[in-house]
Amino acid sequence: MNATTATNAGNGLKAMKVMNGMSGMNSLIKLEIIRALRNRKFLFFSVIYPSALFLLIAGSADSTTKVDGTGLTLPTFFMVSMASFGALTAVLMGNSERIAKERESGWVRQLRLTTLPGRGYVFAKTASAAVISLPSIVVVFVVAAAVKDVRLDAWQWLALTGAIWAGSLVFAALGVAIGYMASGDAVRPITMIVYFGLSMLGGLWMPTTTFPDWLQDIAKWLPTHAYAALGQAIEQSRAPHAKDLAILAVSFVLFAGGAAWLYRKDTLKA
Amino acid sequence: MVGFDQVTKTYGSVRAVDGLTLALHPGETVALLGPNGAGKSTTLDLLLGLKHPDSGSVRVFGGSPREAIVGGRVGAMLQSGGLMDEVTVGELVRLACDLHPKPFPVSDVLARASLTQLADRKVNKLSGGQQQRVRFALATAGDSDLIVLDEPTTGMDVSARQAFWATMREQADQGRTVLFATHYLEEADAIADRVLVLHRGRLLADGTAAEIKAKAGARRIAFDLEGPIDEPALRDLPFLTALDVSGHTVRIQSSDADATVHALYGLGVYPRNLEVAGLGLEQAFVAITAAEEARTS
Repeated sequence: MNATTATNAGNGLKAMKVMNGMSGMNSLIKLEIIRALRNRKFLFFSVIYPSALFLLIAGSADSTTKVDGTGLTLPTFFMVSMASFGALTAVLMGNSERIAKERESGWVRQLRLTTLPGRGYVFAKTASAAVISLPSIVVVFVVAAAVKDVRLDAWQWLALTGAIWAGSLVFAALGVAIGYMASGDAVRPITMIVYFGLSMLGGLWMPTTTFPDWLQDIAKWLPTHAYAALGQAIEQSRAPHAKDLAILAVSFVLFAGGAAWLYRKDTLKA
Repeated sequence: MVGFDQVTKTYGSVRAVDGLTLALHPGETVALLGPNGAGKSTTLDLLLGLKHPDSGSVRVFGGSPREAIVGGRVGAMLQSGGLMDEVTVGELVRLACDLHPKPFPVSDVLARASLTQLADRKVNKLSGGQQQRVRFALATAGDSDLIVLDEPTTGMDVSARQAFWATMREQADQGRTVLFATHYLEEADAIADRVLVLHRGRLLADGTAAEIKAKAGARRIAFDLEGPIDEPALRDLPFLTALDVSGHTVRIQSSDADATVHALYGLGVYPRNLEVAGLGLEQAFVAITAAEEARTS
């Protein structure tokens, strides 16, 4: 074989490997989605539960009650909170527990013996969680619009969906970090504490204005608070606060950086 | 095609693999034997690129282990390899095929692992032996040149084990190299062209099963003697590798039983109930590792 054909063969092989990694990745994402859709408990908590909670909280409120200092009606305010909560549930629960369990069972090791690129596993998990989080958001919107007559402009609906969906990446990264930090036994309690702590203190279940002052001071620095504030800014037709965007950006960098560091540590150890 | 050159891997103060040098050749079926903690799993992990050596180099098909895997040249079945749950056997095997650069049709892979009947079953609903067959299917999803199996028949019953090795032999007959670690020495004896005995991270023996048995003292000689036994004279018998006297019974291991027995009569004794038997690979293995224990302690 002369040098040219060797190079051509090399390039062909390289292209084949890249293509293979890609098609394999798509299959893995597809399988992760199928599997999440089969998991009734997961679907209930990420898709049905936020809407049910929305009806529970906003159900008795009449559509003119305003939430202090926001100018938004209670249903409008809680629609964003619950859509954010649903997306948070889908990405955080989906990633952390599965990753910790599959690290322990050795599935992650088995995948490392395939053409799937090293980060492909985490990517596939996050991509499939993002697909599941979309219905969590939309179902809350539909329920709010149909049952509680929440009305927004078309651009607001689209922007809300986009912002809440994109913002959920912050928590997907947190889920990956927890999945690589916790053992299979510890992952559920740790996830639950983080999940309920962030949801409640961040004001996804009740407006933080009802908190005592000292708690409000803590709450406004939480990424979940900034996350819901992003959606509420869209509802108020104003630009989001720079502070909220900064909190989300810094959280994302911290969580993703932590996840990357833990991932590398785990890979070297395995 | 696979080369370990002075490979060392240490965990804390334990040398799991200690200056290991070995080469595998195309088409071989190689058994990796060793007591627990001998470094078998670490050796396979190094070969597959799951671990990196502290020193020395591991080359697989002229490149790094990862390059060999990405090129689809290696299929592997790990003892610790978990499976994705809540998916069906068919879905998981399809994923493995999609992830292989030179995949076989899914139905062929399922058939080869005797999983066709179980294709619609959820992976987490399978028995241990069935899960082991799924792992095997994942390792043989594509046309790999090297198949690495860590304790492949653990959890299988006897008939499943026989069927498994029949399939494996087919793979080897098609020119693939098969490397397997096992606890079942009769499997190594029956299947492998070549046996590697690993002990404390070092290669203690490397040869055919027959050569390993010869190395350990290929035959066992047992007889009874009446009256006082002259142990030093027995110990001086030619080709003797081990001597055990208990009561009137003498047990000898010899690398040339004919010569040893001939010399035994030369001592002027009258051995009764003389038995000469071949040493199984298991006994050979125990003898080799015990000799090494004795030498190093």
